[in-house]
Amino acid sequence: MKIVGIAACTSGIAHTYIAKEKLEEAAKSLGHTAHIETQGTIGTEDELTLDEIKEADVVIIAADIKVSGKERFKGKKVVEIPTHIAIKSPKSLINKISEEIVK
Amino acid sequence: MWKKLQLKKHALTGISFMLPLVVASGLLIAIGNIFGGNPSTISDYTKGYNIWQAAVTLGVYGMGLLPGVISAAIAYSIADRPGIAPGLLMGMIAQNMGAGFLGGMLGGYLAGYFVAFIKNNLRVPKWAQGLMPMMIIPLLASAVIGLIMFFVVGGPIARASEWLKEFLINMQSGSKAAFGAVLGAMAAFDFGGPVNKVASLFADGLLLDGVYGPEAVKICASMIPPFGVTLSWLIKRSRYTKSETDNIKVAFPMGICMITEGVIPIAAVDPIRVIVSCSLGAAVGGAIIMFLNVGSMVPSGGMFIVPAMINPWGFMLALTVGTVVTALLLVLLKKDAKDNTPIDVEEEEMDLSEIKISND
Repeated sequence: MKIVGIAACTSGIAHTYIAKEKLEEAAKSLGHTAHIETQGTIGTEDELTLDEIKEADVVIIAADIKVSGKERFKGKKVVEIPTHIAIKSPKSLINKISEEIVK
Repeated sequence: MWKKLQLKKHALTGISFMLPLVVASGLLIAIGNIFGGNPSTISDYTKGYNIWQAAVTLGVYGMGLLPGVISAAIAYSIADRPGIAPGLLMGMIAQNMGAGFLGGMLGGYLAGYFVAFIKNNLRVPKWAQGLMPMMIIPLLASAVIGLIMFFVVGGPIARASEWLKEFLINMQSGSKAAFGAVLGAMAAFDFGGPVNKVASLFADGLLLDGVYGPEAVKICASMIPPFGVTLSWLIKRSRYTKSETDNIKVAFPMGICMITEGVIPIAAVDPIRVIVSCSLGAAVGGAIIMFLNVGSMVPSGGMFIVPAMINPWGFMLALTVGTVVTALLLVLLKKDAKDNTPIDVEEEEMDLSEIKISND
């Protein structure tokens, strides 16, 4: 499964990047690929490319606040969750999503 | 219904836009006051003024912008760009009526939902479509919600803010300390999670209304967990595995910057003991802060902003005592770690049943 996504938290300096790391690591260990863009207080970093989005099977938005650029995901399967779910149980989250998608 | 409104998400968006502004403004005021000897703000630009007066004045301007910024950011979060203009105006009303932070938040919600409602329900002929974002929405939303702010909700909120402020300022030492303890325990309880956010929102709100103690409690409670864990590791290293030790080495510098989240991997392995130790330590620290009337005009920045606090030595005392309490509790409560077992950090059981995949 190819995953793309966005992470963004309130203070935009810690949770954002932890959520990105957790999701990418969990995806890798489960045999998927993931690329998560961060929208921290510094601005957007590690931005998703249009090709990546086109090829992705699912979009995970792990955010406690409003994120920008959601229009890029038109026609995609999108999962929106708060950052603490991505941080505390990234693997079960990804497993659950892949189950749902196969259905 | 309540879930659909996403009140919390919009509030957090507001806070995230507000934080850099309040840090810059708070530090400018603190720096100007420290080096300029509490100078007055500039009231007449035709007369001379010095650099410290300029710093304090700029900081005060920044603080005055806060209700406007939080209101605009909440309205933007709800209604996207068209929310910004009416949101800013509602914040100005809140600021000038003395309804401060709470008034700004409410103004932002009202303006945001109203704009979203117009966007979704008001249909205009094609030739008038350009007028919607440029004239109809900003004017209609500002006028309607503005009237509500001026004549209905502004006054009561201003009085409620004033009452809360008086209540907190006039609290007796004993109840002050108890209040600090509860706030500190809440702020440390889940290492930056939802409970911490509630405590944090409360402290930020009071800061804007000129009550500085709770903000100092929040800062202290965010640093006690990483410092306490580090100290307990220094006292008794056998309590931690190799990989936990690596995590502690990262958590400590993060703690200096007031980022608590470095403790999460350590708490994840042994949640109850770590959470109990950290919350109790933070409660002690919070109580000392309120008791000694420590305050902070700056909501984040960790050790770097301690010199800018009101009563910085009181803060250091609270931080030290809280850290020692947490460390000793960890040493007493935790069992020796079984080293060399590869640690795959256990995932927390979470209810994922509500997660929905939507086709956008």
